[in-house]
Amino acid sequence: MTMHLVLHGLAIKKHADAGDIAGLIGMPVDAAARQLEEAAASGRAVEANGKYLLSPLARIALESDYSRQYADARTDAEFMAAYEAFERINVQLKTLITEWQTMDVGGQRVANDHSNKSHDEKIIDRLGDLHERADAIFARLVKAVARLSYYRTHLLAALEKAEDGAIAWVSDAKIESYHTLWFELHEDLLRIVGRTREE
Amino acid sequence: MGQRREDRKLPHALVRTSRGFAAHRRPDAGRMTMSIDTAQWLLTLGGGALPDRNLIGGKAWSIARMSGLGLHVPPAFVITTRACAHYLAEGSEPESLAAEIDAGVAWLEQQTGRLFGAGPSPLLVSVRSGAPVSMPGMMDTVLNLGINEETEAALGTECGDAAFARDTHRRFLDLYAQIVLKTEIDLARDETPAAWRDAIASQGSAVPVGAREQLAGAVRAVFESWNSRRARRYREHNNIAHDIGTAVTVQAMVFGNMERSGTGVLFSRNPLTGDPAPYGEYLGCAQGEDIVSGKHTPMPLDALREALPDVHDALLAAASLLEKEDGDVQDIEFTVERGKLYLLQARAAKRAPLAAVRIAVDMVREGIISQAEAIGRVSPEQIRILLSPQLADGAAVGARVLAQGEAASPGVGVGLIVMDSDHAEAAAREGTSVILARETTSPNDLHGMIAARAILTEQGGSTSHAAVVGRALGRPCVVGCGVGSLHGLEGQIVTVVGQTGTVYAGELPVVMPREEENETLRLLSDWSRQLARIAVVAEARADAHIVDFDDVVGEEQGAFAVLPHGATVKGALFANDETAVREAIAAGAAEIVTSPLLPALLAAAQASTPDQKE
Repeated sequence: MTMHLVLHGLAIKKHADAGDIAGLIGMPVDAAARQLEEAAASGRAVEANGKYLLSPLARIALESDYSRQYADARTDAEFMAAYEAFERINVQLKTLITEWQTMDVGGQRVANDHSNKSHDEKIIDRLGDLHERADAIFARLVKAVARLSYYRTHLLAALEKAEDGAIAWVSDAKIESYHTLWFELHEDLLRIVGRTREE
Repeated sequence: MGQRREDRKLPHALVRTSRGFAAHRRPDAGRMTMSIDTAQWLLTLGGGALPDRNLIGGKAWSIARMSGLGLHVPPAFVITTRACAHYLAEGSEPESLAAEIDAGVAWLEQQTGRLFGAGPSPLLVSVRSGAPVSMPGMMDTVLNLGINEETEAALGTECGDAAFARDTHRRFLDLYAQIVLKTEIDLARDETPAAWRDAIASQGSAVPVGAREQLAGAVRAVFESWNSRRARRYREHNNIAHDIGTAVTVQAMVFGNMERSGTGVLFSRNPLTGDPAPYGEYLGCAQGEDIVSGKHTPMPLDALREALPDVHDALLAAASLLEKEDGDVQDIEFTVERGKLYLLQARAAKRAPLAAVRIAVDMVREGIISQAEAIGRVSPEQIRILLSPQLADGAAVGARVLAQGEAASPGVGVGLIVMDSDHAEAAAREGTSVILARETTSPNDLHGMIAARAILTEQGGSTSHAAVVGRALGRPCVVGCGVGSLHGLEGQIVTVVGQTGTVYAGELPVVMPREEENETLRLLSDWSRQLARIAVVAEARADAHIVDFDDVVGEEQGAFAVLPHGATVKGALFANDETAVREAIAAGAAEIVTSPLLPALLAAAQASTPDQKE
């Protein structure tokens, strides 16, 4: 399970170091670092400048292992109901992020240049509202898979940074923004339940 | 309630002909002797002096103001912030509030000739929160409150559209469940109201059937929202007292889906191009949500002029009046009910970068705003977008189109098509310009998307991962080009135009728009130069002491800290980041050398006139 978790963390975080992964999977950093070194030594991961990537073979092996690792969650009706609720609210989140990035101007969608502060504030407010509804779902997910609480606390932290005016925390793909974390959570859940993403 | 329900079975003729019936018809007086004039906790909006914004909140204030200007708004009353403050302090509503709300409802009934919670013409209302300062975390608007099985049937008969009434009912239950009851639920369109109500009730609490109970629940939810996590945090950050409270605006819904009715949006100027002619859309015999849902395609404003010329003229006059009052372009939502125009909302319009520049400059010329105000109306980012690369004029003529999809993120990218993110990253590292083309993208492709000059996908729409991440990264992005449409293109050089969603064969000429060749940009530059407390130039003075910020990337703070007074600072940073411009001014620099000039110049001018910045 330990190695599986580390590789899973790497699959979610892509190009990551021990610190990035340790938080996500709830493991001490030095333990995660040892596992990553071992993964690199056995060819399951590739290291470059202190960051690791999953090797293609390990990716396939990992994917075939989820059904065993998460057999309990997949038969847990409560968890699966919470997952379905997440999928529903995910549609709203995607729409909201699109509205964050584009604005309706005279009936046409144009890129949001973030010059209209009240537009941005309104969307962050709606994101806060969505978060509060989603949080009840996160609580149900965490009951079955405790490590998912990482997303719950970090999503709130990203939201609060955005609320305080650091708007990059809404959807910047290069930091653990609200959208980055949400996307990772979705990816994590899809792996847990064994489904693939629909566009 | 039972008693009131009895009252409402008035003969149709009476309801139709008697305008003042609402005030006289309730024998269960005790509660109903309350007159609206002596009300302690609420006010009706419209007519008379403009009430204190602190008492009625921003939304009610803007309704009262429009009404004060002689414009038609749907009748509304407001429960004041004082009632909320009482609720927050005492933990319960003021004793007489319920009776005052009854009187307010009776006043709405009288104004509209409709009945709340009963047919034949049911009154539906919207309920909105509204603090004196707009603030996050406050309750969203509940629409169509007052609908139940009885009023749904009446509304269906009145509009001659039972499906509309049923859908109104569903949307009300959906909003009420989400906003007031905080339940996460999907109501399937083809179910019955009873099934919807059961589904909501199974999640914990039920939606009241009685209109008056629905209203009480919504009012309380507004009061409660004052203490939401977000509202509390916002007040703490902004030093706003916790005991002010929010007002609650209750406004009659109007219906655009009857005869000689419709709904639309009007801009006092074109928000895309900045053209000074009013610009709008109208949809006859429809409700606002029909436009939003995309179910119907709205018509240009001329459709309204043809159908209802008087309404059209009144609307344009209202837009012009509001524009003069506010000194800014107006975005007006309106509904026409049986030939009568109602303004639902008017606010400063959002605008595209091109329009922002043109409108700001035009309004100075027309004497509506000052030069400094004009500078505050345009952002450096909007100027950067206007000055970013575009396809040269005529470049696309005769060019072969290889693929066409949905325009998801603007910009132009030229490069070699690569189908795999790892390859894209590797090729980019070696200096090749690449275009990443995928069936769809997932987080596994992020490194390839960062490395690419543009992103293409075969499947997915404007909310797909590729579109969302493409916009976040500022990469031109075209999505949904069609299954199998990109595979054959691997290894070709293409030009991707994100604005139009087109992929052209080969490398087409790209131009950088030049700020000095555009008259409005030149004017904006001149005005900015007069206000800026720092010179912004393309070439440094001959004797300048230059600190080149392109050489100290990542150590800018240190460079500002040791900057000699009167120095010249140079670098792309100043064109791209207005905080750097402000820091240069604060550090005592005399001159900025960068390109293009206007973004930095505008930022410098805005830094000199903080009052003009929102």
